Amino acid sequence: MFNNWGDMKLNKTLIAIGVFTALSLIALSTYALMQFAEEKYSIVLKDSSLEVVDFSAENKQKPVNDVSPNPLKNPYFGDLHVHTRYSFDAYVFGVTATPYDAYRYAKGEMIKHPLGYEMQLNKPLDFYAVTDHAIYMGMIQEYGDPDSAQAPYEWATPFQNINREENRTLESMGDRLNLFSLMAGDGYLERPYPIWHPKMWQAIFTKNRTLASKAFDYDVHKSAWADIANAAEEHNQPGKFTAFIGYEFTSGTEVEGGNLHRNVIFESSKAPIRPWSREDSLNPMDLWAWMDKLRAKGLDSIAIPHNSNGSNGEMFEVETYYGTPIDLTYSATRMRNEPIVEITQVKGTSDTHPLLSPDDEWADFEIMDGRVGARPPTYSYPQGGYVRDAYLRGLMLEWKGQGNPYKFGLIGSTDTHLGAGSFDESNFWSKVGVVDGSPMSRGSIPLTDKRLVQLEEYSEVYNQPVSAIEVDGNSYAIGFEQWGASGLAAVWAEENTRESIFSALRRKEAFATTGPRVAVRFFAGFNLSSIDINAESLIEEAYEKGVPMGADLFADGEKAPEFLVWAQKDTDSAPLQRVQIIKGSITNSGARPSEQVFDVVCSDGMEVDPTTHRCPDNGARVNIEDCSITNNVGATELKATWKDPEFNPKNKAFYYVRVLENPTCRWSTWDALKAGVKPRSDLHKTIQERAWSSPIWYIPIPEDIDIFAL
Amino acid sequence: MSQKPYLRILLFLLLGFIIYLIDITMNYDEESKDIYVSDQELDGLFSAWNSQAGRPPNEQEVISIINDFIEEEILYREALRLGLNQNDRIIKRRLAQKISFLKQETNTEEPKAKQLIAFYEANRNKYFVPTTYSFTHYYFSKSADAKAKALVALKKLDGAGEKIEAEPFFLGKNFSDYSLGEVEQAFGPELLSAFDNPTLNEWFGPFSSSYGEHLLYINNKQEGYLPKFEMIEGLIRQDFAIQEQEQRLADYIDSVKAEYKVIINPNYEL
Repeated sequence: MFNNWGDMKLNKTLIAIGVFTALSLIALSTYALMQFAEEKYSIVLKDSSLEVVDFSAENKQKPVNDVSPNPLKNPYFGDLHVHTRYSFDAYVFGVTATPYDAYRYAKGEMIKHPLGYEMQLNKPLDFYAVTDHAIYMGMIQEYGDPDSAQAPYEWATPFQNINREENRTLESMGDRLNLFSLMAGDGYLERPYPIWHPKMWQAIFTKNRTLASKAFDYDVHKSAWADIANAAEEHNQPGKFTAFIGYEFTSGTEVEGGNLHRNVIFESSKAPIRPWSREDSLNPMDLWAWMDKLRAKGLDSIAIPHNSNGSNGEMFEVETYYGTPIDLTYSATRMRNEPIVEITQVKGTSDTHPLLSPDDEWADFEIMDGRVGARPPTYSYPQGGYVRDAYLRGLMLEWKGQGNPYKFGLIGSTDTHLGAGSFDESNFWSKVGVVDGSPMSRGSIPLTDKRLVQLEEYSEVYNQPVSAIEVDGNSYAIGFEQWGASGLAAVWAEENTRESIFSALRRKEAFATTGPRVAVRFFAGFNLSSIDINAESLIEEAYEKGVPMGADLFADGEKAPEFLVWAQKDTDSAPLQRVQIIKGSITNSGARPSEQVFDVVCSDGMEVDPTTHRCPDNGARVNIEDCSITNNVGATELKATWKDPEFNPKNKAFYYVRVLENPTCRWSTWDALKAGVKPRSDLHKTIQERAWSSPIWYIPIPEDIDIFAL
Repeated sequence: MSQKPYLRILLFLLLGFIIYLIDITMNYDEESKDIYVSDQELDGLFSAWNSQAGRPPNEQEVISIINDFIEEEILYREALRLGLNQNDRIIKRRLAQKISFLKQETNTEEPKAKQLIAFYEANRNKYFVPTTYSFTHYYFSKSADAKAKALVALKKLDGAGEKIEAEPFFLGKNFSDYSLGEVEQAFGPELLSAFDNPTLNEWFGPFSSSYGEHLLYINNKQEGYLPKFEMIEGLIRQDFAIQEQEQRLADYIDSVKAEYKVIINPNYEL
């Protein structure tokens, strides 16, 4: 018995050793096999999205501009959201502009609209980034090219018809939009190879889902990306013009179609061998993880969310993508990767919504209230979709000890799909080519009977509601009337180089405009009123005694902070009407949010009413008959120091500037004027172009209590 | 000579008909349903596979590759037969692009130094680096007495070290290496007149800008210049190559254009 028992014990030990040895052998041989596979068949066990390439052009001789950096910083204007023909939708919309064309346009040259007219800036821009959609990047040309390997497949054929002669017209809207939704929806690329196929294995071993799809040619994709990066490299001229390598991560939530789009901008000439796309993951948290990994390899980048207005409230949620609570790690990760948000662009402005800010008389500005890319058009809920609301939510989350994931700075950009941004209300071409390139198609002048019939036919074919509306006894196309000629990204940087502009974005010393080059300075401190705002040393002293936009201001006892604002008009645009400071704060007991708009300085020497905090009317008007504006009213620059009259030292708060121009005609009014028809009565006839600074956050002295969220 | 000329004509007709029959049976090209898969084609397909997959295809894969190729060829021919290639913008464009590339690439020999220098000479304007100015200024914001204030300040500047009561300018005080274009962008076009033959190292003005009045002190004028050929040879080489390609294409189009007659409906209305 003892013996047996001993034998059994021995047997068990033997079995254990045997199993262990066998397992080790299997592991070892698998490892050896992988090594062998790597050597022999270049099947690698590494993440293809983490391969870094330096795109800096070799031996490029460029005249170098040796301009000394300005420690007090210059304002630089640019656009960090530009699509070219490499974007699947741009191609579908008839666009043929290359990234090279886009950069030429930014530098002041003329390029052509797909409908044939000319597009040119009246002043060149300082920086620009082509940000094509990563998804399908380069594949559409491949589908459309009858000589390509992709051409014969059924998923490629619709693209070979789309730009046929008879289809390349304004009337092809229905087809084009249908194709767009088809691709924007998921699954168009889901045509996997069978499991035995070597591409499938390659896809697994290099973490590259696109390789597993028959409808995708990785080489074509890579070379498209390289072409985009090379264009940026070729046009980047340190000291003169900055071109960033970038792309758009076009993701959304699966159920509600909430838009979670972001532009990824790389700091230098280095970039990954392929852009990380929604094929890799829909979850922005995964995007940040990838960016963190690249950062660990010495490659810095930022992601800039846009069109939060069309996200159905999901861009600035109070929970994570998984629906779990936001925690400190999430907040830190998000802020590390997303220090900047695009507040305005062609598809509307995301400052705030009239329903969110009922006491802000300027809240009803270029509101785009539909979800991005939704077909049929679907309402987007405002809560969680607007910047001011996000700042308040951030304060609340931080108060609860979850960190503040919404402490971002602001820029504008266009999101043009033509390579060429449209910044001018009086010369507007919208952004998606054939589809919205004419006044009739974007709903600013009435539809002809023929076009109306066509729209109705398409609606029937594609089973969509008719995209026309009856106003003032006429029919107008709907879908684009809420878009507009906006916006610009601006930074305060020492010099016009990638390093300098990128670090300005990182420290949030950035501001946004709706198109005109209105510039704004903003400082906060506890002793700014001691500065003579009419002395030449103003800015030098402001940097010494205060913090600039984008920064934190830490409490100094119970002292109320003082602010310095200074705005300058665009030489080619309307004069300034007023400068406002928008304050948001939460109460220290209960995190109850509140927001307020203070007029801070008025044009024409007028004083702010101390009870209403409003400037008197300066009398600037627009003549709708010819779009002329009142002369000699308004300011070329506005400047003031300001103290918050309702300051509570215990409450967390943020302050940002809004600069308003005198009113001018909206693009839809200009379109109608040029066509000799009346502007639509249901659209705003005029707008007030504006600029927003990044906020300054007031950080109170921490209380000695811990708040635990329950 | 035969007595029967009709017979001879008939004979010729018959011979002709036989030759015609032989011709249509032997040269059945147009509607051929044969697909020849050449060795080179197969080599190409397999090596493409190999470069993608990292190994040669196995038997089953060979079959599927060839099947794919055949199906593609069949679809292609059927499409041609149905005339699907006609009036297709994409196909037209692609073919036009192909011949453009072909014509652009026909001559790839290295340009001679002489040609490059000639090109550089002909494009002096393009390589010219514009004149730049470094200057500082006193600013008096737009108001009724701005000009008067500026003149008072100018007087003080002539004297000895009195304090000047000027205002801060939004874009700062010192501007280094600004071309006239950049001056215009920063100050508006009005200020350009100050840069017509300016005196250096001396306060002068006032000049109006879009924002107010300015007293200027230009301490450095960097004359515009043409960089030496050697300095920018690489750039010239690139530009020359691009121009050459465009020229070759243009020459080609010119040479064949004459054979075409363009007809546009004269009654067409936009």
